[in-house]
Amino acid sequence: MLISLRHINKIYTTGEVAVHALDDLNIEIEQGEFVAIIGQSGSGKTTLLDIVGCLSQPTSGEYWLHESHINKLSDSELTAIRNRQIGFIFQTFHLLPRKTALENVQLPLMYAKATHTQQQDRAQELLTRVGLQDRMQHHSNQLSGGQQQRVAIARALANRPALLLADEPTGNLDSQSGNEILTIFDELHGQGQTIVMITHDPLIAQRANRRITLLDGRVLADESTKSPTQPILQEI
Amino acid sequence: MLGAIFRDALKNLSSNMLRSGLTMLGVIIGVASVIAMMAIVEGGQVWLVSSIEKLGTNLLFVWKKRLTIDERRMFAGRNLQLRYDDALAIRDRFPDLKVAPVIDIDGQIKAGERDYSGRITGTSPEYSDIRNSYPASGRFIGTTDIQTWNRSVVLGKTIAEVLFGTQSPIGKEVKIFLGARKKSKKSDGPNGEKKEQETVGEYRFTVIGVMEPKGEAYGQDRDEMIFIPVTTAQRFFKGNDKIGSMIIHVPDRNQMEEVTHKLHQFLIQRHDGVDDIRVRNQGEFLGAIDQTIATFRFVLGGIATVALLVGGIGIMNIMLVTVTERTREIGLRKAIGARRQDILLQFLIESTTISVIGGCFGIILGIFAAHGFGDLVAQSMPGGGDWGAVIKPSAIVVAFVFAVAVGIGFGLFPAIKASKLDPAEALRYQ
Repeated sequence: MLISLRHINKIYTTGEVAVHALDDLNIEIEQGEFVAIIGQSGSGKTTLLDIVGCLSQPTSGEYWLHESHINKLSDSELTAIRNRQIGFIFQTFHLLPRKTALENVQLPLMYAKATHTQQQDRAQELLTRVGLQDRMQHHSNQLSGGQQQRVAIARALANRPALLLADEPTGNLDSQSGNEILTIFDELHGQGQTIVMITHDPLIAQRANRRITLLDGRVLADESTKSPTQPILQEI
Repeated sequence: MLGAIFRDALKNLSSNMLRSGLTMLGVIIGVASVIAMMAIVEGGQVWLVSSIEKLGTNLLFVWKKRLTIDERRMFAGRNLQLRYDDALAIRDRFPDLKVAPVIDIDGQIKAGERDYSGRITGTSPEYSDIRNSYPASGRFIGTTDIQTWNRSVVLGKTIAEVLFGTQSPIGKEVKIFLGARKKSKKSDGPNGEKKEQETVGEYRFTVIGVMEPKGEAYGQDRDEMIFIPVTTAQRFFKGNDKIGSMIIHVPDRNQMEEVTHKLHQFLIQRHDGVDDIRVRNQGEFLGAIDQTIATFRFVLGGIATVALLVGGIGIMNIMLVTVTERTREIGLRKAIGARRQDILLQFLIESTTISVIGGCFGIILGIFAAHGFGDLVAQSMPGGGDWGAVIKPSAIVVAFVFAVAVGIGFGLFPAIKASKLDPAEALRYQ
């Protein structure tokens, strides 16, 4: 079991009003799964992403990632988990401006205290893997949206994370670029990478082998499609 | 990693040149003013000390003290006042010392149609050695002049030029009379004395020497001095045997304190036990100057420090703006593994870089400003000719270290603010 969420509640209090963003949520995700979290805005998708991504703590409930009891960890331990175990991919790419593609990918490696040579070698390897071998020295504003998102994927993979966490990864892309990104996800999934992808688009969610639908902070539906290739590969 | 953070800081600063430049300007002006102020104060000190030393070294000054009415009444009939006899007695008692009695008279000197009014100094031959000031032509007052009340006069260089132009004044005749500025400086004698001063007429003097140029020292133009024998001054212009003060040269600098004390006691004894005199040595003057300079240093340094602090507030202001602008970047960095101290360090290095670069430019500007201001003082202040800026390496170090401290100090709050941002919120900050 990679992810285990048990009785998770998250309550935001703004002034007098308390918003129950997650309501006694229970989800378990195995290693190697490609899960899509679907839901309309306000369903609690983003809150769930924050908790699974160790960006914020639940109000109550237990969260286990791998062997770590996330609720019990300090701020700096959470930072280390985010750095080593989780790769983030955002809708708006979140690349640092004024930095080249290569430098952006190096960033998590730098925070992991890798040497400069290690950082460069790994970043070059990853950028080649996402097809950007001739764009390494380009700044993010010189790259197309699809290229920027591929840089972001390379960055997310830098420290070989257990979990790839994608928040509407195709939301800002045209359908062709979006498709390219999803193809990369498919490949990564094929290699055994666990992916959790948040989307509001049911069509995109079809690419995943499991779809969890949220409504008002609860799981409305949890369905798996055995994709023809994936489970076999995984078993092998 | 530090190298990477430092490169980032430079990149961020250079991507917004105008803003970084204006922020730095605050630090530049602060550092420059600290250095310039210090340099000017140091320059002033050097100038004052050298002015005092120009008056001659190892000197003691003796004046009479102003007594209160009660004291005068109490000590009536005793041997008070500083007299020529005192000077002679000191010479007898302390043969090592050179003693020059001094009488200052406000008077006028006339040569044909040209005249000059100013201070006329009655003194003895020792004066020349004590003050390290010698005639360029002719001779100074001699022993015979003193003994026979000769009406001989030695002129300062400027006076000689005013009265005689390019001609040599030696052997020429001048007329001296009192009362250009009637207000006699100190007239604590009996009432009759003043009347006598006012009624004295003019006397013919022969010019026996012209002093070498000496320039100004401690606010006194030494080329505008006029010397006559002290006994002549007493006989013709004062009508008594009092003197205004004494200048005494002590051969051994280390004995200044001791001699000061002994001399004081000796004079009290001569004055029937009344302490109506003041004995000061140059060291005490220098001490007083040190105190004045310390005050100046404190005040000017304080002003400069305020300038630097204002520069620091500028840094804090701009760093707060930067933190807000880069909230999303901070969120991202935290999401992918930046610890709080990494973010803190990043912003601290950025603010410190501003202050370090600003400090470097400030040092350059400060050196120029100090020299510029030193020249200005030298030109505009009478006698400030030698007042240059003295830039001590320690002042530069202090200013620079202080600037860096300001960068760190004022950068700390914005950096802490950045490091405490919640990553989830920061990522979605619009």
